[in-house]
Amino acid sequence: MADRASMLQEINETSFMVNDLTLYLDTHPLEEAALLQFQKAMEKRKELLKAYAEEFEPLTMDCVCPDTNNHSACCTRYAGQKHFTWSDGPLPWEGGSI
Amino acid sequence: MWNYEKRLQFPVKITRPCPRTASLIISQFGGPDGEMAASMRYLSQRYTMPCKEVGGLLTDIGTEELGHLEIICAIIYQLTKNLTAEQVKTSGFDAYYVDHTTALWPTAAAGVPFNACEFQSKGDAITDLFEDLAAEQKARTTYDNLIRVIEDPEVREPLKFLRQRELVHFQRFGEALEKIKSDLNAKNYYYFNPEFDKQFIRK
Repeated sequence: MADRASMLQEINETSFMVNDLTLYLDTHPLEEAALLQFQKAMEKRKELLKAYAEEFEPLTMDCVCPDTNNHSACCTRYAGQKHFTWSDGPLPWEGGSI
Repeated sequence: MWNYEKRLQFPVKITRPCPRTASLIISQFGGPDGEMAASMRYLSQRYTMPCKEVGGLLTDIGTEELGHLEIICAIIYQLTKNLTAEQVKTSGFDAYYVDHTTALWPTAAAGVPFNACEFQSKGDAITDLFEDLAAEQKARTTYDNLIRVIEDPEVREPLKFLRQRELVHFQRFGEALEKIKSDLNAKNYYYFNPEFDKQFIRK
């Protein structure tokens, strides 16, 4: 069973790399080392978001897939029913506690 | 357009509510150097920016500032959760509570409501980028002031993260200013307005 908090932490850390490298590349668009790091972080982010959405709620609209989301039926009123999974999970400002 | 991502850029998990702390931090929501002014400033200035890369940077930093606004609001929300009437009376939160209960409303710590006059969108790339550089430093000073008087590590950690981002944005805006200047006449950067007198820009 995947740990929700540690998976989310890994998504936060990887996404932060993407955020920070985005600003860096905005002003250094030709720097190869940064481009490579950006590509690696972005690939990892996509994999993590996909894996998280399969186990828990989708974090982006692109990850919403009622057939494969939220295997753990975590924080949803519609466990066992095909439903719109965008509303699953806690709201981000609640502190992540379920 | 924008897409929402259902997570905070930096996690906020506050277990000890403190409305007095919330009433200070609210300045980074709706105060003169807060995150709302920051995002509105950059997202307003970008349309007329003469250099496409700088317009892109303003979009990306303005977008990140919206995420910071959300972190600040999450901190205030969690610091004022499940308050009792007694806590409201004794914590210095009563004046805000009368008008907004515990809802989020953009205001400075001293009670001045958010106002678009907190920021400028001047239509001159040099003027606007100096405004942006100053804005990042003003926000950094405000975070310094908060971190100096707030002791709870659960509140300090996200504030420290946000303070660091001001430094990174300052650095990037400095690079953007250099980029704009490289398209201008080095003998006199202030001879014309690069957003209006476009015939003078070096191709």
